[in-house]
Amino acid sequence: MAGVFVGFPIALKNSMVEKPTRPGWFQTSHNGLFMSEVETLKTQALQQIAHTASAADLKMLHSALLGKSGSLSGLLRQLGQIRDPEEKRAFGKAVNDAKAEVEAAVESRLAELRSKELEAELASEQIDVTMPGRRPRVGYEHILQLTTDKIKKVMGGLGFEYLEGPELEDFQYNFTALNYPPDHPAMDDQDTFYVTDDLVLRTQCTALQGRVYELRKPPLRVVTVGRTYRNEAIDRTHNHTFHQVDCFMIDEGVSMAHLKGTLGLFARAMFGPDVRVRFRPDFFPFVEPGVDYAISTPKLFGGRWVELGGAGLIHPNILRAYGINPDIHSGFAFGLGVERIPMMAYGVDDLRLFLENDLRFLEQFRSAPPVAAGVGLAAQEDVRSRLTAMSPLEAAVEHHVTA
Amino acid sequence: MKFPYSMLLDFVQTDLTAEEAGDLLTMAGFELEGIEEVEGEKVLDIKVMSNRGDGLSILGLAREVLAKEQDSVPTELYLNAASRFADRPAPTTPNPATATIETPDCNRFACRVFEGVTNGPSPDWIQTRLRKAGQRPISLFVDLTNYVMMELGQPLHAFDYDKLRGGRIVVRKPRPGETLTTLDGKEHELQPDQMMICDAERPVSVAGVMGGEETEVTAGTTRVLLESASFLNTSIRRTRKQLGLNTEASYRFERSVDPDGVVAAIERFSDLLGQAGSEIFDVYPGKVERQPVAVKMDRARVLLGMYIEDKQAQGYLVRLGMEVMGHGDPFYVVPPSWRPDIVAQEDLVEELGRVHGYEEIPELLPAGTTTLGGQRGQMEEVDRLREAAIRAGYIQIVSHSLRDLHPLDAPGERVEPRNPASPEMAYLRNSLLPSLADAARRNGGRDLHLFEIGKVFSRSSSGFGESRSIGFMSTGELIPSDRKGEAVPNATFFSLKGDLEAISHAVGRLLEASAPLEGDNRLHPSRQAQLVHQGAAVGVLGQIHPSVSEELRLPRETIVAELDVDALLSDSESQLALRPISRNPSIRRDIALLIDKAVPYREIDQAVIQSGGEILERHWLFDVFEGQGIPDGKHSLGIALQLRKFGDNLTDEEANQVRAKVVAALAQLGGATR
Repeated sequence: MAGVFVGFPIALKNSMVEKPTRPGWFQTSHNGLFMSEVETLKTQALQQIAHTASAADLKMLHSALLGKSGSLSGLLRQLGQIRDPEEKRAFGKAVNDAKAEVEAAVESRLAELRSKELEAELASEQIDVTMPGRRPRVGYEHILQLTTDKIKKVMGGLGFEYLEGPELEDFQYNFTALNYPPDHPAMDDQDTFYVTDDLVLRTQCTALQGRVYELRKPPLRVVTVGRTYRNEAIDRTHNHTFHQVDCFMIDEGVSMAHLKGTLGLFARAMFGPDVRVRFRPDFFPFVEPGVDYAISTPKLFGGRWVELGGAGLIHPNILRAYGINPDIHSGFAFGLGVERIPMMAYGVDDLRLFLENDLRFLEQFRSAPPVAAGVGLAAQEDVRSRLTAMSPLEAAVEHHVTA
Repeated sequence: MKFPYSMLLDFVQTDLTAEEAGDLLTMAGFELEGIEEVEGEKVLDIKVMSNRGDGLSILGLAREVLAKEQDSVPTELYLNAASRFADRPAPTTPNPATATIETPDCNRFACRVFEGVTNGPSPDWIQTRLRKAGQRPISLFVDLTNYVMMELGQPLHAFDYDKLRGGRIVVRKPRPGETLTTLDGKEHELQPDQMMICDAERPVSVAGVMGGEETEVTAGTTRVLLESASFLNTSIRRTRKQLGLNTEASYRFERSVDPDGVVAAIERFSDLLGQAGSEIFDVYPGKVERQPVAVKMDRARVLLGMYIEDKQAQGYLVRLGMEVMGHGDPFYVVPPSWRPDIVAQEDLVEELGRVHGYEEIPELLPAGTTTLGGQRGQMEEVDRLREAAIRAGYIQIVSHSLRDLHPLDAPGERVEPRNPASPEMAYLRNSLLPSLADAARRNGGRDLHLFEIGKVFSRSSSGFGESRSIGFMSTGELIPSDRKGEAVPNATFFSLKGDLEAISHAVGRLLEASAPLEGDNRLHPSRQAQLVHQGAAVGVLGQIHPSVSEELRLPRETIVAELDVDALLSDSESQLALRPISRNPSIRRDIALLIDKAVPYREIDQAVIQSGGEILERHWLFDVFEGQGIPDGKHSLGIALQLRKFGDNLTDEEANQVRAKVVAALAQLGGATR
C-alpha cells in the first residue's frame, strides 16, 4: 500500500509527495524569505495530508511535520536568526498558525480515513445471516402441564382455588361421600383398581369434594387437576391412567345458568372465542340435575357437538351430609378429561401419546398458545345478547337468580 | 338398547324420522349411540343411564317422546300398556301352581300357566324384529319373553311346567350344598345370600338372572309356567356378580323394573301368544306407597336459572306419568312406580329442566361472594420448583404410575392394585427413576436432561404412603454441540448437583449432599450422595451404577436424582431476608491449598466461612488439581475469596489479614498453602 516514510523529508517513495524545497539555512536572513518558507511548507503539508492513503501513513506524516523534529516545528529554530523583535513575533505567529492549520487538516483527514477503513473492515466481516442459530439447551413443560396451567389460570381468574387430593383414595371419598348407593351399577361405569377393600386408586377427581366440605363451609370455589385410574386396557381412546379437571362451587343461588356460563367461559378459554356449550341430561350420583356437556365451534368440529364432560348441581344429599342447607345453598360441579383439551384443540388422535414421553411429540407443544385472546369479552357479550333476547318475565327471574 | 324403529312407532304416533327421534331421545338423556339400517329398517341403539331402568323398554322411551314432542300421540298399545292391560277379562282356568316368597329380596312374584301349547318357532314378524334388535330367535316361548321384555322392560321366564316338581314355586335363598346348572350349561355351587326360584324341592332358576337347564322349555314342552317378578336390585347385582353371569334380565333388574308392571307383562305375553292361559297367581309383599314430593317452583326456577311457568311445569310432570296434587307453592308430586329415582325436589327439577329443554338455559357467570382464586402455600411452591427445573434446562415428562418392576425401583414394600388388567400395570411406582430411564431409552438414550414431578407410593407397617417426588436424569452434552470438534461440557455428578442446588434455592430451600450412610444399590458406590435438608434426608443424587446403566443401555455417565418434594417443602417457606448491597469495591485473594483428599470439601468450606468473618463476601472453588508435583493422596485446591466492606473501602492490608486467618484455619485441617 501507500508509501512508507523513511524519515521525512529525506526520502519519500510516494512521488505524489514532492520533496519540499526550501532555502538553505544560512543563505539569507531576509524576513520575507522566512515567511515564504512557512507558506510553502504549509501548502506542501496540506497537499501531502490530502493525499495520504491510510491512517498509519497519516500518523507518520503527522510526526514528520509536527513532531519534535518535524519540518514545521523545525521552523521555529530559525527564530534565533531573526533579530528584529517585530519580525520575530510575526514569524513565530505565522509558524504557529501554519502548525494549527496542518494539525486540523490531519485530524479531519484522519477521521475520513478511519471511517473508510472501518467501512472496509466491516465489509470484510460479513456473515451469512441465513445460517442456523446456535441451538441452546431448553427445558420445557409437558403438554399436560401446559394444559393444567391454563386451566388453573382460567379458573383461578374466576375465583376458584386450586387444591389437590390423594391418588390413593379412600373408597369413602371416591364413592360413598359422592352419594353412590352401595352396590349400585353406577360403580360399574368405572372399573376400579382396588388396593384394599377401603382403598382405591381414585376413579375421579371429584373425590376431593368430601375432603373439602369437611374443612370448609360455603361460599367456596375449588378447582383441582389430577390423575385418575380406571382398570381398562390401553388403546387409542382408552387408558387406565388419565387426568381430570374437577371444579365445584357452593354459594347462595347457584344455578344451572351459572354452570353453563362458567363452562362456556372455560370452553372458550380453551378452544377459542366462538365456542358454544350444550347440556344433555346424564346421570352421575353426585349431581342433580346431572348433565353431560358438549361443545361446538365452526372452526374445530365443523359445527358438530363434541362431548367434553359431566356436570350438574351438587346433589342435596351431599350438601346435607356436610351440614350445608340445600334450601339456602346450592352448588355446581363439572369435570372433564385434561387430555380431551389438547386432543380436541390440536387434533391429537391417540390417547397413548400423552404418557409415552416421545419428545418428538412433546416438543411440538413448546409454542402452544396460552389462553385464547378476547375470551372474557366474548362470554360477556354472549350473556348480554341472551339477556336482551329474554322476555321481561325471564329477565325478572334472571335478576332473582343473580341477586 | 337396540330396537327397530317400528317398535317405537307401535307405541307412539309421530312424524319424526328415526334420526329425529334419536336426537330427541338424546336430548332427553337417552343417548343415541348409533343408528343403522338392518333388513331395510332403521335400528336405533340407545344408551340408558344407570338410574333410568324404565328407559330399557320401548314403553319407557315412548313416554319420553310423548313428554317432549308436543305433536306426538299415544297409540292404543301405549294406552293399553299405560293402563297395564287392565281391561283384559280374567281367565276362568284356575292356576295349577302356587308361589310363596321366603326372602325380603323379592318384591313381587306372579305366574300364569299355559296348557296344551306347542313350542315351535315364533311368528316371522317377531323373529324379524328380534333379529333387527340383534337377538337370535330360539323358540316361541323364549322369543315372546324376550320380545315382551323389550316392549315393557319386564324380564319374564318360561318354565316347562311338567319339569317343575310339586306344582309349587318358592322364592328363597339356597340351602347348604344346593347346586344349579344354568341355561348356559354351567353348574354353580350356590351361596347362602343368593336368591333362587325353586320348585317344591330344589332351585330351578337364578332369580332375575338366568333360568336352569333342567326346567327350560324345549320342543317337547306342552305346559308352560310363565314367571314375571320384581326383585331387589342390590340382591340381583350381588348374585349375578358372584355367579359371573350378566344377562338382559339381570341388567334391567339391577337398574330398576316397574314392580307395578309385573302382571301387565303377563297379559301382553298372552295377547301375543293368543292364548289367555290360567288365572294369574300374584304375590306382592313389597308394595311401596310412593310418598309425595313437594316442589317449590321458585326454588326450581332459581336452580335451573330459567323460567318455567307453574302450569307448564305441572304439564310436563303429568306427561311423564306423575300425579300432581295441588296448585300452590309448593305443589306435590307422586312419582310413578317405574321412577324409583325420583325421591326429592331436585329430581323433579331435573325432569322439568330436561323436558323444557336445557338449551333454554342462559349462560351467566356466578354472582355472589367473591372468593380468592389461584393457589397458595405448598401448591404454589410446587409450581415454582417445577418452573425452576425447566429454567435449568430440563424437559418435563409425565409417565404412568402403574407399571412393572424395574432395576431403578426404590427399595421397600410395594403398593399393588388387586386386580390389574395386565402385568404392565401390576405395581404402583415407588420412584420416578424407572420412567425417566424408559423415557431416555425411548428418545435415543443420549444427550438428554429430563425430569418428572409426580406421586410415588410406598407401603409400611403403618400403612400406605403417597408423596410427591421430583426426579431427574441427566446424561451427555449439557449444551448441544454446534460445530465439528467443538468441546462442550457433559453432564456430571456436579452439573446435576449444581442444578439441584439452584432449583431448591428457587423455593428458598438449601440442599446439602453428604456421603450416604447406607449405599443405594442403584447408584455408583463412590459417586452417590444423600440429599439433606435441615438435617433430614430428602433424596438421593448419583451416577447410575455402571452395571445398571449397561443393563438399561444408557450411557455410563448417566446422573440421576430424586427428591421427596413433600419432605423438602414440609417446613414453612423460608422468609427472604434481603441484604443491603455494598457500593465499596471488593478485593480478591486466592489461596492454593495442598490438602488430603480425604478431607471433605464441606469442612474446608465451613472453615473458610467461619474464619473469613464479615468481610468475606463470597468464596468459591476455582481449581482442583492433582498429579505432577502433588503428593499421593493429596490434591491442590484453588479457593477464591471475595472480600468487601460495607460503607468503607477495604485496604490491601485488611484483605491480607483475612486471607491469613483463612489460611490459618485451613492449616488446622492439615492444609498447606503452596
